[in-house]
Amino acid sequence: MISTNKIYTTIVIAVFTVLLSFQSYSQNWDIPANKSSKNSYIPFNNETAKAGEAIYTKNCQSCHGNPGKANSLKTLKPVPPDLSEKQTQSRTDGDLFYIITTGRVVMPSFKIVLSEEERWKVIAFIRSYNKSYVQVLSKTDPSKSKLVKIVLDFNAKNNKIRVYAKANEASGVVLLKDAEIMLFANRYFGKLQIDKTLTTNSEGYADFNFPKDLPGDKTGNIDIVVNVNDELYGEIEHQEKLNIGIPTDKPALNEQRAIWNTLLKAPIWIIVTYTSLILLVTLVLLYILNTLRKLKKIGDK
Amino acid sequence: MLDQSKKDKITSDLLGSIRLNYSFMIWMAFLVTSFSICIYAYITQLQNGLAVTGLGDYVSWGIYIANFVFFVATSLIGMLISAVLGLSGAKWAAPLARIAEIIALAFAAVAGLVIVSDMGRPERLIYVFIHARIQSPILWDVTVVTMYVLISALLLYLPLIPDLKICHDKLVKIPNYLRNFYKILSLNWNGSLEQEKIILQSTRILAILIVPVALAIHTVTSWLFASTTRVGWDSTIFGPYFVTGAFVSGCAAVIIAMFFYRNNYKLKDYITEKHFDKMGKLLVLVSLVYLYFNLNEFMVPGYKMKKGDAVHIHDLFAGSHALLFWSVQIFGLVIPILLLLFKKMRKPLPMLVIALFVLFGAWFKRYIIVVPTMEHPFLPIQNVPLNFRIYTPTLTESLITLAPIILVLIIITILSKLFPIIPVQETIDHLEESN
Ligand code: HEC
Repeated sequence: MISTNKIYTTIVIAVFTVLLSFQSYSQNWDIPANKSSKNSYIPFNNETAKAGEAIYTKNCQSCHGNPGKANSLKTLKPVPPDLSEKQTQSRTDGDLFYIITTGRVVMPSFKIVLSEEERWKVIAFIRSYNKSYVQVLSKTDPSKSKLVKIVLDFNAKNNKIRVYAKANEASGVVLLKDAEIMLFANRYFGKLQIDKTLTTNSEGYADFNFPKDLPGDKTGNIDIVVNVNDELYGEIEHQEKLNIGIPTDKPALNEQRAIWNTLLKAPIWIIVTYTSLILLVTLVLLYILNTLRKLKKIGDK
Repeated sequence: MLDQSKKDKITSDLLGSIRLNYSFMIWMAFLVTSFSICIYAYITQLQNGLAVTGLGDYVSWGIYIANFVFFVATSLIGMLISAVLGLSGAKWAAPLARIAEIIALAFAAVAGLVIVSDMGRPERLIYVFIHARIQSPILWDVTVVTMYVLISALLLYLPLIPDLKICHDKLVKIPNYLRNFYKILSLNWNGSLEQEKIILQSTRILAILIVPVALAIHTVTSWLFASTTRVGWDSTIFGPYFVTGAFVSGCAAVIIAMFFYRNNYKLKDYITEKHFDKMGKLLVLVSLVYLYFNLNEFMVPGYKMKKGDAVHIHDLFAGSHALLFWSVQIFGLVIPILLLLFKKMRKPLPMLVIALFVLFGAWFKRYIIVVPTMEHPFLPIQNVPLNFRIYTPTLTESLITLAPIILVLIIITILSKLFPIIPVQETIDHLEESN
């Protein structure tokens, strides 16, 4: 007989386990109201949805599967939702943008990987599965971003980069205050974020601590990328080469002779061994053929 | 001195098989028909690519490559019998040398075709040579297999020269073009001491040369696997493991061939029970060595159970490949060894049955070596259909795998129809010496 006590304990544990798992995989994302009401300045139409599909296939499909096909990666916990379902479609565009930007545990953050424009295009693709959806466009004028000028100023004394963001309006220069700024260094496999994400101060700049030991190219140049995100002026990207890295001159891996290199750069020992063995066998075979020739000659007599 | 009548009897006995008879024609018709069916399967592969097979992104080496390894393995027997036994003076093996050499030549020559069948775009084969990298074991493999084919062909041909002359002289009833063919190939053989010396010396040189080359072909074949870091292949003993395994399947192939030649070519006086007895003992020897390597190959990683290995070994010992794995080890290796320890079992018929088990076991052993590893990559397999994870060969693929096997049988059949399967001159010489 199993005691009722044991059954009771089992039930309690089971209930708690279920509750706990629900809690950690809740569908509630706690999105701040100002983010939730954000709208896209990119119109969602066939063209942008198509561009979004390409981004989706590359970045999202491996987990979320194809919308409407219920083929998301079931081995993940929580299971990535099918984005064409009501759960997702009932969220605001701002919600989706926030979720994709910040991510949460298994759902990755695409803040650095995808530009704002790309994130909106993915949403355009997700929305294309919702027939009743009507878009509310943001008032942001994307063409305004062209007015913004980013200036970098490196201070060698304290190793800081000061980034100014100003807009050249017809009425004069406007400083971008409270704009979000990210600084990156281009590396071999993508962008390395430098320091934290900062916001510009009342004078329109932010100071980034730059590491003292970041390797640059032969002369110490590093490609710096600045991303500015402003309520009014939208998203601005700026690239610049700065001579602030450690000069590094490492020979490329394929420069020297190596097993993995091309034929012409094969290790000497392999070339020598291989060719001498072939030569040896060929010579023996030629010798044998020659003896056969002799054998025939003897018979001729 | 042997009297002439005895010599004539030996000659006519051993040349008796060189004629067209019904059983040969039926056998050939059977082979050619089956071969054409397989070729049809291959044509569908040429049209549609490897999609007609069960191969995919994960298991990209399937029964084609298993078959290739089996072919290279079986061809090694030529070296063991005609070189190792020949050079060490084991006279009993002399009548079997030509059988072994024919098997070796046929398997080695066709092995290259097996590789081509694994290519979805065979017309790009030439790129292997144009863009060759001599750092790659694949190129080494192509090189040594080619060498081995050449040396094996010479090693078959040289001792055959005196017999070709006999064929030309004695086989008066055959068509003229065939007699001319024998005449040309016999290189004006007149049996003079000088000529004998040349043949003897050259054969000796080739027999010595073929030992390292044969070891190389199967060691390099094993390196195609062992030079990767994949579970089940990342092994330091893969070279000797393959070579010893090769002798097992080669011995089995020779025993099967001996049985058929003895019965069909009426050679009971030449391939005697003594030969079966000796071959049985040889098979036990090589099988024991192979068993020892198997023990090392599975015991050592099985004891440590490193994370990646563990998945693989569990799958072999108790998982989806367990049935095949244990059948191969037990019926293809352990039981044959035990049975062949008994003299009663080293008779022609029991040996035929045992050798068939060993040979089939050897083929499936290659499957066990190639496929399970491919099903266990280091990176997790995600979001793919089931048939990507678990390899099942298709019917087309199986037919294409059968094709080279049939081709080998065709080559062996033709060679043993054209040439005396037991060396004639050598048999006479041996008898004379012992008298
Ligand atoms: C590594 C797998 C993975 C990738 C890649 C991924 N996601 Fe997710 N995503 C998840 C998981 C898991 C969740 C559920 C997260 C949770 O509820 O905590 C999720 C949730 C979401 C949600 C919220 C769904 C809802 O309504 O609850 C959206 C929207 C979303 N992902 C969009 C995307 C987009 C767009 C991309 C590609 C740019 C993407 N995801 C890439 C795993 C992934």
